[in-house]
Amino acid sequence: MISEEKLHILVNGAKFDVSCSSSGSKRKNGGGIGNGFAEGCCHSFTPDGRCVSLLKILMSNDCIYHCKYCVNRADADVPRATATPEEICELVMAFYKRNYIEGLFLSSAVCRTPDYTMEQLLRTVKLLRTEYKFFGYIHVKGIPYADGALVRETARYADRMSYNIELPSEQSLKLLAPQKTRESLLAPMRSLALQSSQFKAEKRKGHFLPAGQTTQLIVGASPEPDGQILRLTQALYRKNGLKRVYYSSYVPVVHDALLPDRPAGELREHRLYQADWLLRFYGFTAEEIVNDDGNLSYDLDPKCAWALNHMQYFPVEVNRAPLETLLRVPGIGARSAYKIMQARRFGALTFEDLGKMHVVLKRARHFITANGKFYGANETAVRGLLTAGERNDGAVQLNLFSDAETAHSALTGEL
Amino acid sequence: MIYFYDGSKESFLTAFVLSYGDGDATLTSRDCQLSLGQETVFVKADPARAAKAEARLNAIDSHCMRDLDLLLRSGEKQRDGVLLRYFRCLAAYGRPVRDMYQVDAAREADRALRKIGTEIHRMKGFVRFMECASGALYAPVSPDNDICDLLLPHFRGRLGSIPFVIHDVSRRKAAVFDGEHSFVAPLGGAEIVLSADEENWRDLWKRYYASVNIPSRERLKQMRGYMPVRYWRFMPEKR
Ligand code: SF4
Repeated sequence: MISEEKLHILVNGAKFDVSCSSSGSKRKNGGGIGNGFAEGCCHSFTPDGRCVSLLKILMSNDCIYHCKYCVNRADADVPRATATPEEICELVMAFYKRNYIEGLFLSSAVCRTPDYTMEQLLRTVKLLRTEYKFFGYIHVKGIPYADGALVRETARYADRMSYNIELPSEQSLKLLAPQKTRESLLAPMRSLALQSSQFKAEKRKGHFLPAGQTTQLIVGASPEPDGQILRLTQALYRKNGLKRVYYSSYVPVVHDALLPDRPAGELREHRLYQADWLLRFYGFTAEEIVNDDGNLSYDLDPKCAWALNHMQYFPVEVNRAPLETLLRVPGIGARSAYKIMQARRFGALTFEDLGKMHVVLKRARHFITANGKFYGANETAVRGLLTAGERNDGAVQLNLFSDAETAHSALTGEL
Repeated sequence: MIYFYDGSKESFLTAFVLSYGDGDATLTSRDCQLSLGQETVFVKADPARAAKAEARLNAIDSHCMRDLDLLLRSGEKQRDGVLLRYFRCLAAYGRPVRDMYQVDAAREADRALRKIGTEIHRMKGFVRFMECASGALYAPVSPDNDICDLLLPHFRGRLGSIPFVIHDVSRRKAAVFDGEHSFVAPLGGAEIVLSADEENWRDLWKRYYASVNIPSRERLKQMRGYMPVRYWRFMPEKR
């Protein structure tokens, strides 16, 4: 059994990775323990408001690299620990059986060499699948520069893999993560994407990353504007077929002249998630939603900001507007749009109906008519109304999570 | 007229038929305050009547019996009213009303159903098993709705051949998988002998929970929103 001390060190080094999602895999229980649960499942929530779904842990925090922003970098004075594959497997089985977790998110610092590290990761997941007969969710971090064959074999046992790009430009990588290049992260992603589509095309038995690939970008450690981050995101979705891009607002854990000493605002991270949602689900492009200065608005969510800049399209009539248009209305999300589409088949909807259906009208009323009636204010008034109460000094504390309407949005960026 | 029924499907359907013409009908399966002069009927389930009603309702909406089964599990006070109005609405329109969100009765039922669905989904995550000396797993729960048996297929799928018990301590019943069959059984108290390692794993889990948190980002309100305090009772990391 792994010691509490070791567990603490290895979890502490892994916890800033944002991804914890366990969705997207339908792996069956093949005569052991565990299966995939396509919707994903949260098992607990920590006081920081984050969901606990996977056991998020490092194989080792003993790193040979020097990424400036990282607590585990080679020259940092921190306690070091390395787990054995057996220790990890035992822990996963014990936690999973008790329904504490949905699976494993296994990551690692680059310990000894990239190949050695990747081998350890592979040994662990292979052991889990074949010896321990574990069929629950496994997410494995890819190690840059590791041998392609090791990565490919790992992918056969994992549900998801991720290479974290962390820094949104080659320049920032060079400065802050000198041993990594963008190519060392993107090339394995592309190769996995290719192998995955070949695997699908050949209809082979077994699995090859059924939950796809994801990545993470640190926001605010380097100077790239939101627009650049979102264009990168968009390219990753379109060209590399990524399932998800996560954003992690920079938290200074080490002091370095090249790094800001203040944390990036959580508001910025939140706006990026909202923008990401618009890219993935509502048919927006990165170019449409950033302002002329290359950034997102901080005092308005990106959909509101876009709508206010395109008042010529509004108001739209809720009884006739097609789904794509409804989804562009500030305040109307997928669930509300669906309800409207269904209910209007049975008769024209009025504002009262929308209210009863729990469509949130606080913002939407300025952009819609219901059965010909408009209850909004004019454009200047709207801008004032919408920004009031959401404005803040752009920094640390914000009041985003105060009502039920925004609580869900805070977790996913849903708009 | 007030119609008392016993909370079962058959008795509901019988009461539904009996009360159909009665515009002032109140349906209830629980104790309620009777006002003076109100007439009451104690409905006895009538299998033939119930079957006929079921067939008629099924012809209108082939999914409505699933709704009925779920709604009868609801722990909400307004449940019986919601049920009566929903099924009357179904009969009146003669078509599925699930998506008629502008109609009160349909919307109320939709809301109640979603609440139950949400809890089932939550419980799949929040159930906490402890390992008994015998190797079987035991989880005490106390959900708002009567759903412990609906969790059986989910946990059977993942726990393989391990026997387990999900014990609804408030309703004094349990969903059981004995290694071969699953079933529901009445269960008051349960005496559990824990396996030798149980405490250690539980402590490691608590340690994990504490370590993975980022204290500088406290958002207690959000945590409680997603994981309401009433579920904490059986979660080791919250005790
Ligand atoms: S490779 Fe860089 S980011 Fe990863 S553990 Fe090592 S120093 Fe940290």
